[in-house]
Amino acid sequence: MAEARSTERSLLRKALSPSRACASPIELGSFAEGSLPHPAAARLRDHVSGCARCQTELTLLTQFENAAPGPDEEAAVRWISARLERRFTDAASPSPWRARHGAAPPRRSAFTALNLGGFALAAATLVAAVAIGLRESRAPELAQLSPAAPTVLRSARITTLSPAGDLDAAPGELRWEPQPEAASYSVQVMEVDHAELWGAETRDASIVLPPALRARIVPGKPLLWEVVARDAAGRAVAWSGKQRFRIRR
Amino acid sequence: MSNHLAAGGGGASIWLQELFRRHYKKVVTWCLRVAGDREEAHDLAQAVFVKAQRHLGAFRGDSKVSTWLYSITRSECLNYLKSRSSLNDALEDDVAEALPDDPESRPERVFELHSSVQAARALLDRELTDVEKRVFILHYGDDVPLLTITRLLGLQNPSGAKAYLVSARRKLARALRRWRASERLTA
Repeated sequence: MAEARSTERSLLRKALSPSRACASPIELGSFAEGSLPHPAAARLRDHVSGCARCQTELTLLTQFENAAPGPDEEAAVRWISARLERRFTDAASPSPWRARHGAAPPRRSAFTALNLGGFALAAATLVAAVAIGLRESRAPELAQLSPAAPTVLRSARITTLSPAGDLDAAPGELRWEPQPEAASYSVQVMEVDHAELWGAETRDASIVLPPALRARIVPGKPLLWEVVARDAAGRAVAWSGKQRFRIRR
Repeated sequence: MSNHLAAGGGGASIWLQELFRRHYKKVVTWCLRVAGDREEAHDLAQAVFVKAQRHLGAFRGDSKVSTWLYSITRSECLNYLKSRSSLNDALEDDVAEALPDDPESRPERVFELHSSVQAARALLDRELTDVEKRVFILHYGDDVPLLTITRLLGLQNPSGAKAYLVSARRKLARALRRWRASERLTA
């Protein structure tokens, strides 16, 4: 069944993927803002008017251009922005530690330390790109700011042990590998639309599921769970990502 | 404004930082809508900016900076969704349950039965509303989960993209039945 679905999905993916006539997001953007040269613009107008694929891309581009956090997104966007901006500012201006020792200070998280340079460079580059785009909106000469490509590092991950995938019976507990920096763990079990069913805190690398929650784990119904490791100050230091499981029908 | 920027004064720098933050908010909001989770959205947004730095040499000024940034964001988000594809079929099960158990109504039949991809796409174009087309293409063409499509397209109805996908599949099943009937008549 899963294999048949995968074949079907791959067939559909192929049929719905952009054709050779479809425009790239950059071309669509230029087309939408009216800056594409006339013959190319006319050609693209003819194509887009009959191409649901390009129309979909244009809709997404418009949504991106107008993307502003809604009331339920504001807190998360603020949190992410503050986290990234702090790194940017921190990396851009020498800290007192750097001034004294001439090198980067030891960090609590390897992720934080290693990303400072990369993020600052990326941020500086983007600012430069914006400046170039404003000074000369077409075909500017661009300086190569960095020959060395920075590495993207992900936040520390918790490896989960169980449950995962299709199960024969409702799980009695959630288990994961302990994190050295963790003073406690926040655990959450959710519906597939991320609505929380149950949440709890623990100091151990496992937690027993209460009977009331187990009663809601019925055959065929997928659920998600995740665990966040917190340090003594309550800051998140590692995260499992959402894990999916369900009992076979 | 251009002169001010070219002069490279402190005011220009502040103005540029402000502009950067405006673009940056778009990226962060978009990544949040794709990931549906702030930790993952943070990593995703960071990856977008790092990639923007890495590909700066490819920016030729043929488009607005925000369009260029969108193309990078789009690519990173699709890669992210591919890496998470095992988590994405839960709502698809719900869609299947909302439809009659008829193999002939499966959406891929549209492409199996029509002589060319163009003919099948024309059928989609004719039968579906604009929103149904967007949802259908993003879900089946790019493997974007229905919850993510709901957030990206800003759909406000209670069941979001799922309702549009169920409706699209019903319409296509009806169109296929009509198409088969007309084939029988002409045979």
